[in-house]
Amino acid sequence: MDYPIWDFAMGGGMLMALVAVPHVIVAHFAVGGGLLIAVTETLGVRRNDPELRELAKRSSLVLILVSTVYGAISGVGIWVVAGLISPGAISSLIHNYVWGWAIEWVFFILEIVAALVYYGTWDKISKKAHMLVGWLYFVGAYGSLVVINGIITYQLTPGKWLESHAFWDGFFNPTYWPATLLRTGVALMMAAAFMLFPASKSREAGTRLVRYIGGWLVAGSLISYVGYRWWEAQLGETTRALFLGESPTLASLAATRSFTLWALAAALVLGIVFLLIVPRSIKAIVPGILVMVAAFAFFGGWERLREGSRKPFLIHSHLFSNGLLVEDIERINSAGLQAYTGWASTGGLDDPIEVGRRVFKIQCAACHTLGGYRSITEALPTFQEMLAVTANDPPGSGAAAFEAGCASCHRDSNFEEMVEFMPGADEMKEDPEMVTDLLVGMITGTLEQLRDMGQAYVDADRSVQFDTQTTAYPMMPPFVGNDEDLEALATFLGTLTHDGASTVLTGGGE
Amino acid sequence: MTPDLIPAVDAAGLPGPVWLFQFLLVLTFFLHLLFVNLTLGGTLMAAISHTLARGRADDPRGVLAGRLIGINGYGISLTITTGVAPLLFIQLLYHQFFYTATILIGWMWLSLLLFLTVGYYAVYLYKFKGAPARGRGGGVWLWTAAILFMVIGAIQVAVNLIHMQPGSWEALAGNPWAILNDPTFVPRYLHFLLAGVALSAMVVTWWAVRQARQGIDPDLNGTIAHFAWKWVLWASVLQIADGLWLTMALPKDVLLGLMRGGGATMGPFTVGVFFGIGILVMVARCSDPVTRPALVTATLGTTLATMAIMVVTRDQVRSIYMGSSVDLSQFVIRAQWGNFWLFAILLVLGLATVYYMIRRVLNEPAEGADAA
Ligand code: HEC
Ligand code: HEC
Repeated sequence: MDYPIWDFAMGGGMLMALVAVPHVIVAHFAVGGGLLIAVTETLGVRRNDPELRELAKRSSLVLILVSTVYGAISGVGIWVVAGLISPGAISSLIHNYVWGWAIEWVFFILEIVAALVYYGTWDKISKKAHMLVGWLYFVGAYGSLVVINGIITYQLTPGKWLESHAFWDGFFNPTYWPATLLRTGVALMMAAAFMLFPASKSREAGTRLVRYIGGWLVAGSLISYVGYRWWEAQLGETTRALFLGESPTLASLAATRSFTLWALAAALVLGIVFLLIVPRSIKAIVPGILVMVAAFAFFGGWERLREGSRKPFLIHSHLFSNGLLVEDIERINSAGLQAYTGWASTGGLDDPIEVGRRVFKIQCAACHTLGGYRSITEALPTFQEMLAVTANDPPGSGAAAFEAGCASCHRDSNFEEMVEFMPGADEMKEDPEMVTDLLVGMITGTLEQLRDMGQAYVDADRSVQFDTQTTAYPMMPPFVGNDEDLEALATFLGTLTHDGASTVLTGGGE
Repeated sequence: MTPDLIPAVDAAGLPGPVWLFQFLLVLTFFLHLLFVNLTLGGTLMAAISHTLARGRADDPRGVLAGRLIGINGYGISLTITTGVAPLLFIQLLYHQFFYTATILIGWMWLSLLLFLTVGYYAVYLYKFKGAPARGRGGGVWLWTAAILFMVIGAIQVAVNLIHMQPGSWEALAGNPWAILNDPTFVPRYLHFLLAGVALSAMVVTWWAVRQARQGIDPDLNGTIAHFAWKWVLWASVLQIADGLWLTMALPKDVLLGLMRGGGATMGPFTVGVFFGIGILVMVARCSDPVTRPALVTATLGTTLATMAIMVVTRDQVRSIYMGSSVDLSQFVIRAQWGNFWLFAILLVLGLATVYYMIRRVLNEPAEGADAA
């Protein structure tokens, strides 16, 4: 949290998704494709089956172009984006796991060199040598997955690491093995989904090859299912409760979970029907696309679930997504944000709105934009919303406006009670200043709640995973800072609650 | 109040001693730079040669362009692969400086990814749709790639200059383009570009000489060797002039720091300069490289050695630039020696496997039904 902030109206999270989603799909395709292609070529040579070898060859051309170029660049891209949007967080990960990444790099070298050689030596070297290269490619690719998975699972379930801070405690954390199994299944599914297209192109052996690929897809789906169940079982009780049980804490996450499982079921059923039972159907493009979409949907759904269950942390119970360390909460609250980072005061301290804008960027912009994705303006009460509630014109619309704009923070009161407290519509229009004060008061109150939330983290036992369900805002880090920081942020946010103001401010990112 | 813009040292500390990571940073950066040079200098040289050949693949310069791009099809992948490690180690040692620098020119830094992707695919397009595949054309792709790679180089130089000079951050936060006004920007950039051209030209000369002496297309290879050798000559001449410019353009404290460092800093620097001049002398003494294969090989070796030494100097210059802004001893050291050894052993095994694989592939050529 002590780095300068990179201004990005679209929101860092969105950018990360744009880079990371295609990357993980391609990366798993590269791993699964490595296995499928090596096995396919080996079977082709053993059984003297030119069709299988042709399939391996054609798939490998796609594999290389996509994985060595796009996969590699987007992999670096994840680092680039992470360094821009959450430098403190990525730095912390690197400082804890640099040897993990260094080891992954070794596998990466093997993977890339083998891929280039494999691609360039079709029809040029002996079959045995070529198969060897294919298998080495798989070793490299799978090795990278096995290593990187240790770091990714550590972020969600650091397990004993929270107590010992020991590399291997974090690496072989509770969800390590299940996620390895799950990702292995996903890799097979991704590869099968891609290879479907070269397989279906073969004129004579199309049916046979499609069945062959179908076998891989079904196997991948089943492995993924077992991996998923095991993964879920290994999540801590408190994390599971976010999306499981009678009344899950986060309804949206629960929805993501059922979406994920339905997509997996769809991939399995579509795979069995289209690829195994009526493989000829693949000649029409649509069934193949459906299988592919279902497989992607499952994988995407699970990644979202994983990321969602980790919020608001980047490393669970240790480091928040905005780069705030749990251990720094008290220090920043007492000394203030300005003492913590020089970037909070570059540009001067005279204008509270400007100071507040910087506080927003430093603490909130990792998740909220001003007017785009997860807009802070929408999360805050506005003048218009207040007016809509009091005016209640046409009758009944006030209650709806209350539900939409107020209820999330005012769970204890209902529409009727609220209106009693509120000034009338005419009063508001006459004296907007008064409404502004009311709005800024609400924001200040919310920020105070958010700051108090920090105490729960400070008091918690640091050696076990924190139960985010117990806080008022389970998806958000606490606000940190002294009273001046809080006031500045409230002043800035207050300017967003008036019509017109938000557009001016969204554009003013400079 | 003077706010401290340099972020705090990462509390997680370092899982090994500072010198180990410095060594790994310098070593892996050198590896990366080898491929960077081939990609950057090679693509530029290919684009110029292609243009001189009027886009024809049957002109020796067109053949040369095709060869350079043949190398680059693999070279770019290896540039990225070898770039990952120094990217990791610089984030480890200089995180406060590096991230800040990239954030200050965030858009440029991000667009590097786009330029790299487009540049890479442009190289493939030239290979499959241009002169190497069709006999002529494709210059647009080649120039696209060359220009994009040159821009990427400029972005990297900018990040480097910014990360070394925290004093410039506050001003740059308002106007990031001001980094182009740094008096060392241009000479530093040219230093890399010329090194890239020199190395690429050196490698293709070496290869053409080898082929010519093996009796493979001796005329064609002789012409190519001649042509590329001239590139080595001119790149070296310009490099020495530019090196002088860069040295003079360095801030006074930095230059003084380099001198005051004594043998530790002046040693490598002096040897590097000597080697650079040595290359020039070797190249200038020989007008027909095909007749002097040993000299060509020696020049290639010296070029590589010069680069290696200059990478050390570059790292030392960084430390001098940063001066008191950086104190690597602030890191808490929690060494994980077991993991280091695991890495080292896997690295050796991995490289041995790569070596073994390539040997097997070279030793088992096959054709027709016997081939894979
Ligand atoms: C880790 C990401 C993250 C960060 C950082 C973050 N938020 Fe949020 N915020 C969320 C999410 C997710 C929601 C919606 C879900 C919820 O209510 O918990 C949300 C909701 C809100 C809401 C609406 C609450 C409601 O119940 O309607 C407000 C107000 C808010 N955030 C303010 C802030 C402020 C101010 C900051 C900076 C101090 C901040 N947030 C930082 C993720 C974040
Ligand atoms: C982001 C959370 C949030 C939202 C959304 C929100 N409020 Fe509030 N509101 C608060 C807080 C916190 C307080 C208490 C302020 C304080 O402590 O001074 C409050 C206080 C009030 C009060 C003052 C009366 C009292 O109980 O002290 C009124 C009236 C009110 N809100 C109306 C609304 C209306 C109408 C809406 C919808 C347009 C709304 N609020 C939306 C957080 C919110």
